[in-house]
Amino acid sequence: MSDTAARQPMSSALVWAVRDTLAMAGRNLRRLSRQPEQVVFNVVSPIMFTLLFRYVFGGAIGGLQGLNYVNYLVPGIAVQTVLFSAGVTGFALADDMQKGFVDRLRSLPMSRSAVFGGRVVADTVNNAFGLLVLVATGYAVGFRPASLAGLVAALLLLLLFALAVSLGYALIGLVVRSPEAVNAATFPIIFPLTFASSAFVPVATMPGWLQGFATHQPVSVVINAARSLILGDTATADQRALLLSGADTLSLVLQSLAWSAGIGLLFGLLCTRTYRNLGR
Amino acid sequence: MSDAAILAENLVKTFKGDVRALEGVSLSVESGTVLGLLGPNGAGKTTTVNVLTTLLRPDSGRARVAGVDVLADPAEARRRIGLAGQYAAVDEKLTGRENLMLVARLNHLSGAESRSRATALLEQFGLTDAGGRTATTYSGGMRRRLDLAAALVARPPVLFLDEPTTGLDPRSRIDLWAVIEDLVREGVTVLLTTQYLEEADRLADRISLVDHGRVIADGTAAELKARHGGAVVEVRLEDSADAGSVAGLLTDVGEGPPTVDGDLVRVPASAGTRVLAEVVRRLDDHQVAARGMALREPSLDDVFLSLTGRPPEADPDDTDPKETGR
Repeated sequence: MSDTAARQPMSSALVWAVRDTLAMAGRNLRRLSRQPEQVVFNVVSPIMFTLLFRYVFGGAIGGLQGLNYVNYLVPGIAVQTVLFSAGVTGFALADDMQKGFVDRLRSLPMSRSAVFGGRVVADTVNNAFGLLVLVATGYAVGFRPASLAGLVAALLLLLLFALAVSLGYALIGLVVRSPEAVNAATFPIIFPLTFASSAFVPVATMPGWLQGFATHQPVSVVINAARSLILGDTATADQRALLLSGADTLSLVLQSLAWSAGIGLLFGLLCTRTYRNLGR
Repeated sequence: MSDAAILAENLVKTFKGDVRALEGVSLSVESGTVLGLLGPNGAGKTTTVNVLTTLLRPDSGRARVAGVDVLADPAEARRRIGLAGQYAAVDEKLTGRENLMLVARLNHLSGAESRSRATALLEQFGLTDAGGRTATTYSGGMRRRLDLAAALVARPPVLFLDEPTTGLDPRSRIDLWAVIEDLVREGVTVLLTTQYLEEADRLADRISLVDHGRVIADGTAAELKARHGGAVVEVRLEDSADAGSVAGLLTDVGEGPPTVDGDLVRVPASAGTRVLAEVVRRLDDHQVAARGMALREPSLDDVFLSLTGRPPEADPDDTDPKETGR
């Protein structure tokens, strides 16, 4: 609860928290739209990765149990897209810290949580945009989800995961206070999580020592859940056993929600604590 | 002093690594007046402002701003203050108007109020034409004005200005001074930190000199000068190499030892022309040629020098490169 909330009736504190969050989200989106390099990265990178894996590497990737590779690939690139662009949360927050903008915000009678709320809302919009570009690109090169409902559910699951991860970036941004340092601090974590996963190739094709990690680490769980939602009933028993860690859709979705909730809560609390302790 | 709009008592703040930023700062600013917090870099000026604006919690001490206990009720204190910092915390990707609108919304003004406030402030700070451009295109002086305008959006009765003109060119500095003087005429209470004696002298009703986390003297500029900086005789030598020996020659002339600054030797001279006459006699006796000599009324520089034994941070506009050091 913010300092402001302590003095006002609960309902009005909540209304202000929402309004402040929207004001900050508007500011963040406006900034983003004025940084063409950011927008280009967000749009071009899913297109490039889809084309790269679909046409360059795709032919060499085996073990797909008869599944069309582009249908396997798109959920993987989707996770990669949201994981990479979740970094914006950390970079932008570090930038605001560095330039003294956060100090200005801290001297205002605004809701404390809106600094993060505004970031997360804006970055989720940004992520959703990236995912739409990806789905459109995928569709153009043969991606066919089993149902629209499955696709939408998968995208929402991915956005939730991205939101949770972006709070991790936010924490690092608050602590290191420079966009470059955020990059340096997160790249060695995000890169292996993204590539040592089921995103681009079936885990079964990896060496034994890597398979355990690659199957059960959260990024793979989320990818498998999204993939399972997208493939729906069209997934064969073999595909489910070898490509989706043998679990059914519901179990994968619940695991993925648990990961998102756990990561989000942990980093959300740490962010709030760190932000509050800026003044100590 | 019952009508203090800003009151600090014994503020102590230690940062990690045992850096004692504040060692018991106390100050008081009467409503509607300007206090200049004057001191070199690292003296504790910004830390004091950060405590008073709720950005930093002190280890101990008390602080009240506009009748609100800053430590007990920081949220209420934030409703009554404006802060403009030395970094001009404006969002450079937003336009001037958007910056003001954002701060207005975050101060919980209504949409209509926010718009009219933004328009009025752009007008007041001479930014109407630039209001639609992003702040990236602004000069340093324009950014400071926008930053100051943002601090005023919610019409706070108390304003904190942390080195408002540091790094500005002289022209922009003078413009900003005029803006601040207008605000003070409207009745705003201001706490201003500065490294510039000239700035404190011009804007502040009272001055607190800060050094090593303590207020080492306070009063009006005139009081400080009278108390701590008597008149001096300044002797400017032909050759700075002689300064040491000349200072030795004049050791017992004034009420304290002379100080040397390049080719300039300063002799404390509360006794006025008697000291001047004695200086002339001694230099003449020893056949020392001086380029110039003056009996000068004290400046805040002298006050600072007499209290700390060193000159305050040099003005970045000065041409002496070894003293600017920024």
